[in-house]
Amino acid sequence: MAVSEAPPTALAPASESALRVRMRRAGELTGNVLSNPTTLAGLIIITAMIGMALLAPWITTPNTPNPTQMPRDWGAIAVPPGSPGHPLGTTNTGGDVLYGVIWGARISLRLSLIVVSVTVAVGIAVGSLAGYRGGRVDEILMRIVDVFLSIPELIFALAIAAVLGPSFRNIILALAVVFWVKYARIMRAQVIHVKQNEYVDAARVIGDSSWRIFRKDVLPNSITPVIVQATLDMGNIVLVGATLSFIGLAEAGLAEWGVLVSEGQAGISAGRWWASTFPGLMVFLWALAFNLLGDGLRDVLDPRTEASR
Amino acid sequence: MVLPLLIVGVSIIVFALTRIGGSPIGIYLSHEMNAEEVAELEERFHLNDPVPVQYYYWASGVLTGDLGWSGVAAAPVTDVFPNKLAATMELAVASAIVAVALGVGLGTFAGARRDRAPDHITRVVAISGAAMPLFWFAILMLIVFWVGLGWFPIGRSDPEIFASIAHPTGLYTVDAILAGSWTAFRDAFWHLVLPAVTLGYGATAIIARMMRSSLVEELQEDYVDAARAKGLAERLVLRRHARRNALIPTVTVIGLSFGFLLQGTVVAEIIFRWPGLGRWMADSVLRGDQATIMAYVLFTSVLFLFVNLVVDVIYAYLDRRVVLGS
Repeated sequence: MAVSEAPPTALAPASESALRVRMRRAGELTGNVLSNPTTLAGLIIITAMIGMALLAPWITTPNTPNPTQMPRDWGAIAVPPGSPGHPLGTTNTGGDVLYGVIWGARISLRLSLIVVSVTVAVGIAVGSLAGYRGGRVDEILMRIVDVFLSIPELIFALAIAAVLGPSFRNIILALAVVFWVKYARIMRAQVIHVKQNEYVDAARVIGDSSWRIFRKDVLPNSITPVIVQATLDMGNIVLVGATLSFIGLAEAGLAEWGVLVSEGQAGISAGRWWASTFPGLMVFLWALAFNLLGDGLRDVLDPRTEASR
Repeated sequence: MVLPLLIVGVSIIVFALTRIGGSPIGIYLSHEMNAEEVAELEERFHLNDPVPVQYYYWASGVLTGDLGWSGVAAAPVTDVFPNKLAATMELAVASAIVAVALGVGLGTFAGARRDRAPDHITRVVAISGAAMPLFWFAILMLIVFWVGLGWFPIGRSDPEIFASIAHPTGLYTVDAILAGSWTAFRDAFWHLVLPAVTLGYGATAIIARMMRSSLVEELQEDYVDAARAKGLAERLVLRRHARRNALIPTVTVIGLSFGFLLQGTVVAEIIFRWPGLGRWMADSVLRGDQATIMAYVLFTSVLFLFVNLVVDVIYAYLDRRVVLGS
């Protein structure tokens, strides 16, 4: 139970030593995470992807005026990979596949960061409120969560995005509406568990305010599974987001992986496999990498589950 | 019971979505209408009443089978639904069979050979399955097996063979058996294989992973040692003892993965040109066909809830430690 070993801050005012303990623990955790080859592989892919996303304007010539739109080379329509100027080939409409692969990383990074930060914040707020308060509030909030969980994720997001109208911004919005519930549920269970600990009683005896106990004791000790889930969702969100844009809910011509796979679909019966294959591979690698990292984090942060794997 | 409450909750969400997405009478309006006719429509759809009253009328409409007009199908939703549902169910059930058989098989195979090659391979299948974009995997399958090797056809049936027999159930394989036509059965089956395997991959991965880890756990139990000590062959220890118990937690995952399959039909039906609910939904999404979207969301959610209820019941039946209703 590594989680409850963290020093109860209310009883250890010597903040410097507490900080040192935390630093040492963080160092150990990093070492543990990196010692697992599959986790390391995930981390390497993620680093490469994020690097590509951040450097996109420098490693490609940004399309003007809107760099997130695919540039069209009307002189090189549907050329195969390895053609001059188009290392990964072009689509049926002359879009450079490599450009889409690189800028797709940028769009996916933005998508997953926005959705994860919003959903984690909302989920933590709702879950903590339900778990910490209990009673009526808990019951009502959790019934709402149950209803949200009754609708399959992708279909719910599809319906919301459809109702709002096709645009990438609405895909982001739809995913945010769908993905917060898991965090609320996880957080609630954690808070209920953690608030029964003796150090919480101790803090209460000392006279700490309810808010202070929550912030200093309950929240830091409840957050671990949320971090694991958020890591997994960094991948899942791009997976679902790309599926929505594949179906056609993003703007046409957006330099995004799902849109590109959909564009490339038209050429496959003529043997033009590349326009769908490369962008789809990126979605797969992205989701795979965050899944590997998430699994690794879970093993290290939550040793209870380790025995079963 | 929680289930009716959840269904009501889902219906409220669906109703709210119909009101967010523009006027619900939009589909019935045309440029030739005058103000009076529009007002009449508004009256007929109770748009001047308070929202809860509107919900009441909408919900009672749904309960009596009035799901509105589908612009995409150019017919009332309830008229088109059964046929499309049959297509989707045929695909989903075939995928579920593939996923359960392969998932349990792979999981058992790997769990019994922990940390050896089959285990590692299964782990790769399991992890990649969770990260696999179905829309991409399906296209790869088409590139290899349809374009490249030409082994499998695309679509749901050959039109000539389709026309040669009657279709009382709408499930083409069943219809072919009923008609006693081997040609029709082979055609229906052949069209079904590629989409079913593709769609089933993700669920296979989930099931295999669960099966493997619960089998590994069961194999460490005392009763397994006891069975081995009394001289039972390893094969029987696995089949009669460990696997049976390992299946219990796997059952819950099978229920969950059904939701996964259901979602997947949308993508699989687009790519394999399968004329089911999923493709109808995708078309409706792109063309703003609200009635179809809402009927689809409502239907899949209720189905998903029922499947999970059934899974809970089966779970309780298998695992006598669980008491229902507590």
